[in-house]
Amino acid sequence: MGRVRYSCCNGMNDQTWIQQALALFRKDILAETRTRVAFGAMGVFSFASLLLIALAMVGLKGVLIQNSSGQAVPAWNNSGKMSLLWVLLCFAAFAGLSHSFVYEEETGTASTLKLHMGPQAVYAGKLLFNTTVLLAVSLVITPMYMVMTGMDAGTLPMFFAVMLSGTASLSAVATVVAALAARARSTGALFGAVGLPMLTVLLVLIMNAARQCYIRSESAVQYLRPLTGIVCFGVLIVTLSAMLFHYIWED
Amino acid sequence: MGSSALKGTLGFLMVYVIYGAFNIAHGAIGFAEKGIAARIIFFHVPCAVYSSVAYMVATWYAVKHLWLLGGTNKSNTALEDSDYKSAAAMELGFLFCILATITGSIFAGVQWGSFWNWDPRETSIVIMLLLYASYHLLRTAFTTDPAKRARLSAVYAIIAVIPSIYLIWVVPRVLHTMHPTTTLSNPADTSLSYKLVLYPSFLAFTLLFIWLMQLRVSTMKLIEARRKRRLHAMEAQR
Repeated sequence: MGRVRYSCCNGMNDQTWIQQALALFRKDILAETRTRVAFGAMGVFSFASLLLIALAMVGLKGVLIQNSSGQAVPAWNNSGKMSLLWVLLCFAAFAGLSHSFVYEEETGTASTLKLHMGPQAVYAGKLLFNTTVLLAVSLVITPMYMVMTGMDAGTLPMFFAVMLSGTASLSAVATVVAALAARARSTGALFGAVGLPMLTVLLVLIMNAARQCYIRSESAVQYLRPLTGIVCFGVLIVTLSAMLFHYIWED
Repeated sequence: MGSSALKGTLGFLMVYVIYGAFNIAHGAIGFAEKGIAARIIFFHVPCAVYSSVAYMVATWYAVKHLWLLGGTNKSNTALEDSDYKSAAAMELGFLFCILATITGSIFAGVQWGSFWNWDPRETSIVIMLLLYASYHLLRTAFTTDPAKRARLSAVYAIIAVIPSIYLIWVVPRVLHTMHPTTTLSNPADTSLSYKLVLYPSFLAFTLLFIWLMQLRVSTMKLIEARRKRRLHAMEAQR
């Protein structure tokens, strides 16, 4: 769009943007292993919400309700448990993912990053870091959740596909909203309030796909159709964010 | 079209639509209260359509804003103008969204027996409402720097196009809906007396949208001018 803003020709630095993004990713991982702020915040937050959900739903154990076709089904069933797991992961993302942009602003290192690498590299590095942290959190939380609520995985390949594509799309949305919110003064309150409405749509898609984990189906199309919705959503968000990132990042 | 001609046509059309909804259109088969419930479409459907059209208009001006920002010839008035138009369209979208939700809820209460049924279109309009609200929330966070506010809210408007496209076209088709899907898109199903009121109603809402947008953009310009004047006065005092 108009002017060229890629600063990989800054003189001091002749890396490609992929190398720059990986360098930023390594730096963030290093900082994270030293302080453990993002992972710790998200881990504790999601474990606390896990306990809350499990406790709140204990009363529903063994309760039967009538569905629309008149059959008695358990009220606290697998798709319901899966939906609440995603609500939990969604809140976890909003507890920790803003950190990666906020601390660059707070410590004043944002300007150094701007000098050192182009906006595309910053976006790619931060997206990679956020996705890794969120995947790590969901890798810890999901088995615990399954044990505490007695949730089945259902069709295993579908379950893994939903978890992977859902987490990646979730972190794509959270990353760009975090970058936006980090530019404002009241970042914390803004981040959740601006990001959650966008995530609601993704959650509707994910819950629709998650239901498919527990329905036996012969044709692969039944499994692929809801997954395509999630993947397309993530890809579109990443594409638009990468195109527009320099408007967010630079003044 | 001049402002008074626009207002005159709008006034005439609105009176005609309100009269026609009760006197030209007859009760429709398949609707509650002897078909009287069907008359909501003259007000509910244009509101619902304009709640999504407004988003597209807002995105158009957001893209224009960023396009101007990336260009070499940056004129301040053109930049401000595209920002105000984008924000004004967002406010109107919010308004039409609220109206569509309320009229839809009243219709659902009469027709389906409950004011809220978690029909996919009800779900998607309420999320749409949230998207509009978060856009305005984002704008309130940058009160001191209008240029930054304009740039960042334009970015948000463009990125939030993806969830809104999903809400308007994907979600209602993926999930089972109680809304009639073919009644209005297939002209053969709609009787002449309904077309006589519905088409003028769409025209009236289009004019209403244009008029309200002009009003809102000019008030935004006045507010910004007042802000600048106060800023200058404070600097002069120092």
